[in-house]
Amino acid sequence: MATETDYAIEVDKLTKRYGELLAVDGISFTVGKGEVFAFLGPNGAGKTTTVEIIETIRRPTSGKVILLGMDVTKKKHDIVHRIGVLPQGFSSFDRITVRETLQYYAQLYRARSADIDGLIGLVNLHDKAGEQYKNLSGGLRQRLGIAIALVNDPEIVFLDEPTTGLDPHARREVWEVLQGLKVKGTTVFLTTHYMEEAELLADTVGIISKGKIIAMGSPGQLIMDNANYQVLTLQSVDDHAFEILRKSGFEPVHANHSDIRIRVEPTDDVLKILNSIKDAGTVYHGLDVRRPNLEEVFLKLTGEALSDGSAGER
Amino acid sequence: MRGMNLRGIGANIVVKLRCFYRETTAMFFTIAFPIILILVFGTIFMSQDNVAYHLCLQDLDQTKSSVDVVKTLEEKGKFKITRVDPAVDAAQYVRDSRVNLVLVIPKGFELSLMQRMIFNNLKASVTITYIYDPSSSSVATKMEILNGVLAGINQEMSGKPPFARSVEKSILAKKYRFIEFFIPGIIAMAVMTLSLFGTVDLDTELRQKGIIRKLSTTPITRSEWILSSILYQFILAVISTIAMLLVSYAVFDVNLHIDAWLLMFILLDVFAFVGLGMILTRFAKEAQSAAAASNAISYPMMFLSGSFFPIELMPEFLQIFAKTLPLYYVNEGLRAAMVFEDNMAALRYAAIIGVFAAVVFILGIVASKWEEDQ
Repeated sequence: MATETDYAIEVDKLTKRYGELLAVDGISFTVGKGEVFAFLGPNGAGKTTTVEIIETIRRPTSGKVILLGMDVTKKKHDIVHRIGVLPQGFSSFDRITVRETLQYYAQLYRARSADIDGLIGLVNLHDKAGEQYKNLSGGLRQRLGIAIALVNDPEIVFLDEPTTGLDPHARREVWEVLQGLKVKGTTVFLTTHYMEEAELLADTVGIISKGKIIAMGSPGQLIMDNANYQVLTLQSVDDHAFEILRKSGFEPVHANHSDIRIRVEPTDDVLKILNSIKDAGTVYHGLDVRRPNLEEVFLKLTGEALSDGSAGER
Repeated sequence: MRGMNLRGIGANIVVKLRCFYRETTAMFFTIAFPIILILVFGTIFMSQDNVAYHLCLQDLDQTKSSVDVVKTLEEKGKFKITRVDPAVDAAQYVRDSRVNLVLVIPKGFELSLMQRMIFNNLKASVTITYIYDPSSSSVATKMEILNGVLAGINQEMSGKPPFARSVEKSILAKKYRFIEFFIPGIIAMAVMTLSLFGTVDLDTELRQKGIIRKLSTTPITRSEWILSSILYQFILAVISTIAMLLVSYAVFDVNLHIDAWLLMFILLDVFAFVGLGMILTRFAKEAQSAAAASNAISYPMMFLSGSFFPIELMPEFLQIFAKTLPLYYVNEGLRAAMVFEDNMAALRYAAIIGVFAAVVFILGIVASKWEEDQ
């Protein structure tokens, strides 16, 4: 008997072992209903393994995953009716058209009432409805994948790297679809390599590294907790300035050929820096002060940059 | 107990049929390849049914009696005779003209015949010489026919009625031609390759593309997926068989008995080789190795199980080996049903291939996995 809770997903001491390799090391977290949860981690961190256990594709070695009040290892058949999945590296039947593909998946769910035209409209594929899958570009394929994940009007949607390998324009188009889901109140579990994506869409971000959750919270909270400073960038500044700043006790780094970047903790430091440059008679042609982003938080916590590779992970 | 997801099964069959129909090269090879085999081998076998051997003959006697012998050979041995000039050396002629046999009627043939017939001189005899090229394959058959005709002539000359006569009494309701023997074998073979390669190719492709992984997150279950694969392969097998039979009837005017046994053997053939395909897909890590393993299984089966020719033509150890091959039982079962109309034999073969199909299919189900890992 399924028990309804406030959580869409509850993960408790989840472990997954492949022989000697411990891919997921006793992680626990929850995702609230209607929440957009972004799951981040470097390649090989255990991200996809975790998602695939939650999606019922893999079985855990130990621990528990409860989806909408149901245990994933015991209630798979009931769960699959209520979730939608876009697996990593999604692909479909080459010679089947967009419309036929959606009809096919709708029939698997016995979803007589599936609004195929509505879904096609939602992912903006009207012009391509009669096109075979093999003729679609990467962005169009991902949009079709998202439409498939929504064909049964699921309560939770899992999107495993939905924008990996897409150009910025196609990526933005996918984001628009995801924002639409957020407005609709669908719970979205998103794994991604793109910090910008997580910052823009997620209510909560979980960061996994070496099989363990190392940080969890809203993007703003994570930044506040882990990167409470400002970044000052001076543009087209000469080498002399670099030395002056070092002597003044700052830690400038070269951003690109003529830009330098300085981490400033109290905001007053910005003025100090500008004054010392001015006093030395050095000029700069532009400046920028900004809050750090999730990318920097991620770098600080994991010691690794999020790679933009399309390579899969276990 | 949940009911079967019939809509899902139907959707899978439709999607696969659409893919097949739109993949014109795959469709061509599936449907056209067995038909080409039937046309090629059928044409060869048809001409063998009405064969008339070519015989070179050198008549050194040039008498009325020797001419009578030539006529007898033409009529009874059904030879097309080419006369060789008595002046040439027959052995040289065989070498030069690339013929494989010259029959030489010696000089004095009529004289010896007269002595035997009129004076009853038992010492009077003639020697008919076959000058031949032993490397030619048809020469032995020709000599056998010639010996038969000559034995008939000797028997007639003895003036006594033969003691042992032979009567041909076929156990079959009708006489069948080689093409009729051949077609059930081609049907069995075509259904085997279709099911085996179809399963291996499609399953490895869908697995590599991650479609199987996606399907495992939908309500379709593994057994419903397997059932839809079986039904899809069965539909293709029936379409392919109908095409083969239509061509066989239209071009070769074959006389085959078609009843429920045909469908039964197609179904068992499909089950056995889809099951085998599922096992191969599971254990072969790469698509190429799965394809190589299917080749390694299907080729010996194609050539050694009696699809193309009767296994009786093979050495005994190969005949024993042939009987270990599942396709042999489909071949023989289909022939029992379609050619010999022997229901008991068909039942026997169906039982054997049925047990094999059940075992392989269950192993295939156990072997194929929905989940990605152990």
